[in-house]
Amino acid sequence: MSGYELLARSLAACGREGLTGELRVAGTPGGVFHLRGGLVVSVESPGAPGAEALLLRSGRVSGEQWAALVREAGGARWPGTGLIAHGFAGAAQLRVVCTMALRDAVFAIVAGRVEECEHAEPGLEPPAPVAVGEPPSRLLQDASRKLAALAAMPRPVHPDRERPRPVGELDGPFSELRWDLLTHADGRRTSRDLAFRTGRGVYTVTVEVARMLAEGLLECAPAPTPIPVRTPPEGLRHRTPPPPSPPPPEQTSPVDLPRRRPGGFFRLRNGSPG
Amino acid sequence: MDHEALAHEMRGLREQVTGITDTAVAASDGLLIAADTADSIDPEGLAALAAAGLGLARRTAQATARGTLRRTVTYGSHGCAAFYAVGDTALMVVLGDEGLDVDRLHRATQPALDRIGSILMNKTAEGV
Repeated sequence: MSGYELLARSLAACGREGLTGELRVAGTPGGVFHLRGGLVVSVESPGAPGAEALLLRSGRVSGEQWAALVREAGGARWPGTGLIAHGFAGAAQLRVVCTMALRDAVFAIVAGRVEECEHAEPGLEPPAPVAVGEPPSRLLQDASRKLAALAAMPRPVHPDRERPRPVGELDGPFSELRWDLLTHADGRRTSRDLAFRTGRGVYTVTVEVARMLAEGLLECAPAPTPIPVRTPPEGLRHRTPPPPSPPPPEQTSPVDLPRRRPGGFFRLRNGSPG
Repeated sequence: MDHEALAHEMRGLREQVTGITDTAVAASDGLLIAADTADSIDPEGLAALAAAGLGLARRTAQATARGTLRRTVTYGSHGCAAFYAVGDTALMVVLGDEGLDVDRLHRATQPALDRIGSILMNKTAEGV
């Protein structure tokens, strides 16, 4: 949570000025706030799965179905109308998914490091926008509350720091979320990575990882697994450059081209039209 | 070759850019040198695919007069796979999930490619 004051000031200014456009947040993970009239309608961040990732990773929509929906929507980034029309999600469900994704992205940005904030004109259409925007101050309060709740847990976890793995052989009645985390926690993935992998919110996953660490179901390896490196037996060879392309054939005069005659070869092979 | 330095570069890139899930370095003919990959990935097969993919992309760039190949990126609904040439002797693979900012990846990768190229060429020069 570094650079929070800068983000809070920048977002407050956007709200006061009724900005319609983007606030680009540089940092780790950073992200982009999309605003309309000073209200936040969408937030993107590499630190939290967007609505598209939530729908695709949860299996509610397949990759092929998503591609078809995007084509049907004329290449739009967010085929919201098609998702409802084809029954992949109800209108209310979709609103919940979009709102959750928006708030989760704010949480990820606030939990990380903010280095710079820059206003920009509206760019591409915002992904998965909510119909009624949210005041920036409310979003920041929500993110701060979540961070405080996380910090107060017996075994606090940062979304992008610990890389947990299961402790020994596990069996027992676990919730679906816990099974997912036990399946995919491999000592390489952070809570943020697990959120993307399982198609769940990063805050939800981070809290559950913290609980599971405290309960001894997960542990953090003391040191990362070494990366095996081996030397090619014959050393590295320079790539052989591909042969040069053959020179283009010399231009010949158009009068040399054979002229197609009506009723010629085509008619012999395919019969007379009509 | 400084194995530790190469591993440090690969791990550093994964920690520097949010969304990178796996990295691998291979000789330009597809022989694997190092892999920082999840168990679900076959690093030998990935290295071979990257060599073939870069070769095809290089020929395509040449045949269509697109200049020097910079990289290839394959986008899927669950993320992307980027292949970079490391000089004319090796290649690097970076896999990312849906959250990976590909522009940021390209910016972060350029200096790493130079350093990895130096580490690999030291190996050749020393014959280690």
